[in-house]
Amino acid sequence: MSGIQLQDIRKSYTGGPQVLRGVSMDIRAGEFIVIVGPSGCGKSTLLRLIAGLEKCNEGDIRIGGRRVNDVAPQDRDIAMIFQNYALYPHMNVRENIAFGLELRGMAKAERHARAEEVARTLKLDAFLDRKPGALSGGQRQRVAMGRAMARNSSIFLMDEPLSNLDNALRVAMRSEIKELHRQLGATIIYVTHDQSEALSLADRIAVMKDGNLLQFDTPGTIYDRPANRFVAGFLGMHPTNFLPIETLPFWQGKAGLTVGMRPEHMTVHTAAPEAPAIPARIVFSEMTGANLMLHCESDVGRLLVTAPRQEMVGAQETVWIGYDASQAVFFDAGSENRVEHG
Amino acid sequence: MKPDSRILTALALIAGLLFLSPALYSIFMSFQTVDAYYTGKFEFTFENYALAIGQYNFARYLLNSIIVAGLVTLIALTVSTLAAFAFARFRFPGGNLLFAAVVATLMIPSHISLIPNYLTLAKVGLLDTYAGLILPAISNGFAAFFLRQYIRGIPVALDEAAYMDGATPLKVLWRVIVPIARPAIFAMGLFIFISEWNSYIWPLVAVGEEELYTLQIGLARLYRVNPGEDVINWPLVMAASTITILPVLLGFVFVERHLVRGITMGAVK
Repeated sequence: MSGIQLQDIRKSYTGGPQVLRGVSMDIRAGEFIVIVGPSGCGKSTLLRLIAGLEKCNEGDIRIGGRRVNDVAPQDRDIAMIFQNYALYPHMNVRENIAFGLELRGMAKAERHARAEEVARTLKLDAFLDRKPGALSGGQRQRVAMGRAMARNSSIFLMDEPLSNLDNALRVAMRSEIKELHRQLGATIIYVTHDQSEALSLADRIAVMKDGNLLQFDTPGTIYDRPANRFVAGFLGMHPTNFLPIETLPFWQGKAGLTVGMRPEHMTVHTAAPEAPAIPARIVFSEMTGANLMLHCESDVGRLLVTAPRQEMVGAQETVWIGYDASQAVFFDAGSENRVEHG
Repeated sequence: MKPDSRILTALALIAGLLFLSPALYSIFMSFQTVDAYYTGKFEFTFENYALAIGQYNFARYLLNSIIVAGLVTLIALTVSTLAAFAFARFRFPGGNLLFAAVVATLMIPSHISLIPNYLTLAKVGLLDTYAGLILPAISNGFAAFFLRQYIRGIPVALDEAAYMDGATPLKVLWRVIVPIARPAIFAMGLFIFISEWNSYIWPLVAVGEEELYTLQIGLARLYRVNPGEDVINWPLVMAASTITILPVLLGFVFVERHLVRGITMGAVK
């Protein structure tokens, strides 16, 4: 197993903007790292630099302590799963999985045996003679994983591997990837723009924006103590409510801060409670399963609140929104960085 | 079958027969004696084929044409595929300029390069050799351009996956790109083969020795073989023509499916 150290990685293309602006990370061997961020933030570029498919302009990439900036992709002991799977269309599943072994000089019988073993693990043994064109999206995704697994690499790079699957399959494959990580114990770097994938899979999450690494920490820390307003807004099932502190009844006499309040930390009352609350009007609601996501208008602005569906049966349009103030996160109104606030 | 499609089939058959009629007529003529041809009768004979092969050396010409067209096709495809892969996948200083130069060669009529090619080969002593017939045709700008466009349509991620799997650039080309681009390579190969098979001017200029004549040169010489004064032996010419077109026709039938796929590539995704 190998750890990966990235030190002040910078990358720009000729005549283009800077894609990475000094990214540093220390990834421990066996960790599951998810790099998350909006489109164009540089996350896929960072992955390609680690893979060796592109070269950085500045900075050091070390794998297992060895500087690999000038090492060819095939000599980095890395397997990669691409967003569009990149399966060889003219080879069947067995050949696709065994191709990397063939290139490394493994005998035919041995590599086919290995391919079949991997296929069994991934429940692909019934499709060994099929070509990728005759497989479903989920099966293709598995073949791509099988191809990476066959080589016993110590590092797996995954570039949005689930983005082409439907939601049900994506959730199922997410569990399989997590299980795979547990079995293989390999270091995995997984790129996605889907924050729910990041929260559910990662040991640590790296949040990126505009070529900068904004925060690199455990999912729990990032969720509870986001480094800035962008991270708070990006991570979480539902959009966070950001409101000026002076407009809220929960903190009297404070100013100059923005408060981030997650919808799940807010409560809906059908009658005015004794504790401070914001009177609001429900504009519309969305069902999210056991809960409702309420879109409310209030004097302080638009609010998103989740409420148990059962409690909202027969609720009127006018409600009072309470808040567990201990869950609040505060941001400096100017810099938008998180500040401690007692 | 709907009435509409029956009419269409009939029309297609008529059109097909019209297109085929010169070839069919020449095959029909090739089995006639020359006397019968000029007296308007029909007398069946194989003698024209026996004459063409036995007396006029067409077996040798056929072999020469197969060697020249076959090797030109093989070498030109290899060179063009390598060039196309480089132009499609690698960025290198002057790459765009070089590609523009390759495309510019398409604008140059082949007859303009006739004399420079002749002088060059004369200088290196390659006239009257197979190499002299083959070498000028192995760099094919159109093939390089056509294959480059095809390869650009193949996702780069496949190359990258192969690199991650441990492939070298040549392995990527041979194991990933070539199998995927096979329809285009087949199509291009057939175009090159046919154009080389039908090539007349260059073999005429480059070769004086009869043992190196290709079919087209041999065929042209037959016009001078007259059974009587000012009378061309058309049945003999037609027998030689049939020997000339048959291998290409058979080859076309063999790779036709690949050819059609190659030509229509990219039309439907």
